[in-house]
Amino acid sequence: MEQFLPPRAAASRRTVFACAAIVLALVAAEGARWSRAARAAAAPSSVEAIVPGAVALTELSRTMVPMPKNVPSAHASALAALPGDRMVAFWWAGSRESGPDVKVYASRWKDGKWGEAWEVASRESLGKALGFGVRRIGNPVAWTGRDGRIHLFVVATGLGGWAASRVVHMVSSDEAARPPTGRRALTAPAGEGIDFTVRRVLPASPLFNTSTLVRTSAVGLTDGGWWLPLYFELGIKYPMLMSFDADGDPTWAGRIGARTTTLQPAIVPVSSTDIRAWMRDASDERRVQHARSRDGGASWEDLPALALHNESTSVAALRLANGEFLMLHNDAVDGGSSRSTLRLSISQDGKSWRTIADVASGSAGDEFSYPTMQLVGSELHVTYTFQRRAIAHHRYRIAIGETI
Amino acid sequence: MILPELSWQFLYGRLAWAVVLAALVSSAWPTAWRLPRRALAAIVAASSMLMALPGSASGAWHLALAFQYPSGLLLGLCAAALLRRWRGAGSGALLPVGAAAVIAILGTVLYLDAFGLLSRGWYYAGFGPNGAPLVALLLAGACAWCIVQGRRREQAAALLGALALFSLARLPSGNLWDAVLDPLLWGWALVTLVVAGVRRVVRRQAPLAAPVVAPEPALQAAGAESYSPIKESS
Repeated sequence: MEQFLPPRAAASRRTVFACAAIVLALVAAEGARWSRAARAAAAPSSVEAIVPGAVALTELSRTMVPMPKNVPSAHASALAALPGDRMVAFWWAGSRESGPDVKVYASRWKDGKWGEAWEVASRESLGKALGFGVRRIGNPVAWTGRDGRIHLFVVATGLGGWAASRVVHMVSSDEAARPPTGRRALTAPAGEGIDFTVRRVLPASPLFNTSTLVRTSAVGLTDGGWWLPLYFELGIKYPMLMSFDADGDPTWAGRIGARTTTLQPAIVPVSSTDIRAWMRDASDERRVQHARSRDGGASWEDLPALALHNESTSVAALRLANGEFLMLHNDAVDGGSSRSTLRLSISQDGKSWRTIADVASGSAGDEFSYPTMQLVGSELHVTYTFQRRAIAHHRYRIAIGETI
Repeated sequence: MILPELSWQFLYGRLAWAVVLAALVSSAWPTAWRLPRRALAAIVAASSMLMALPGSASGAWHLALAFQYPSGLLLGLCAAALLRRWRGAGSGALLPVGAAAVIAILGTVLYLDAFGLLSRGWYYAGFGPNGAPLVALLLAGACAWCIVQGRRREQAAALLGALALFSLARLPSGNLWDAVLDPLLWGWALVTLVVAGVRRVVRRQAPLAAPVVAPEPALQAAGAESYSPIKESS
């Protein structure tokens, strides 16, 4: 027996050495990461209410964003502002919602008109870039970083319906010909288009990373980062947000409130600590839901629902220079249906709202939904789904100090 | 919140699913029969080739479509299962009842939270810059201690491997929870607990049932014989 002891002892020593080496390597890796980590969380960059007076809104134009040829259905637009009063609109279009041919398209707003639509992402291009399959393409949300790059977040489902949704993070790139190591380019056609590379699928759920979607606009932070509103939808629905740093890397994520019937949060900072969120309601209450954070988004309390009607339709909101809130939302009107009237309302306290304009209205069965707002200089740009066939664009001039 | 590069996830997905699939296929082989090493090597090679195929021809394309990536712990346990097969040795369950209970409880709590029923945000804590890495290091130290002490070496090594993947490369998702838990592993833990529970009930009922058969010694003997392959072959 004794002759076997030395090899056993040696094996034991090797085991001890290997275990110690692994643990030390892990300590070193985590220590190095920890020493480089940012210490302070960035606050949301709120609109300072420094311009007193009422808001005057004048409609300048209403147009349709050019659709790709032979594509009958369109939905869920998003806007990203670019330097020089330019913008890019993103939306999905195809033969029908959830159809295999649905793709994300984009169009540039430049010199007061929209350019030709180009294809940004399809389930084939996303699957190729990610290395695994994508079943459906859904809502896009866009944000322009301080460095001018557009970060595009697109819903891409796994095996199943929208409950199997994941969010793909793409970044506009000038390096499409030679994308960064490990990233694949989604090249746009020459001319109008912008190239993107796929950065990753955002990890947002332990359930095969499914049931997380985006819809509403991102919110800027003081450090150049932003908050991306998300929501969980698998029977139960609840809103979330994910924070990004200036480089577009996620920094933290959290849930908004405790309700299980709200989704698609429209987040509006009032100050660095006071944040409001208004949400689509999937409950029988059928009112725009409201939540508030008093600690910069770290924790949220659910507030009573607004008086504004909401039959599970998306809303958009922002804060004006005079401190008032603007909200685009569908409202119930006699003879109409849940999405047949798209209304612009204004509020001083975020609780009591008054209608200032009907952006679009029709009869029962018509659809003017999924609004998005973007302030570009003194102009308010509004896009929304027009009858599920196209994306409409309205342009307003905003002036403070006049009566609406 | 530090997330892994997509290229690393791409590689991890293919390797991990190859190991998991190979372990699953080899587990279909009856435990009592020794799986020839050549056959095992062929299973691993075939699984790896299937995952390495390009685009939608790859098994990983479809598995990641449905399940994203297996946790590091599931990967480790599957690798341990393959190693057992290779050595033709190994005793005890690869997922012991105690560990299965811990995984089942943690998974239940985490998934209830993810479904929004608990509203605690525990999953997001797995991205934390301080807490999650600290927990990972403490667990890694505990695993190393278990390995050195010779306690549950396979399981400890599997967990240590998962934690190493997390701490070194933040695989598979950047979240500590995803390193040590996934719905497939949770399902395995639940099945283990159910099987253990059923066995326990059967064992408890066996002494009660025995007196019913006891009056017939011949039958009792016959019953014992049916469970003995040695006697059958003699």
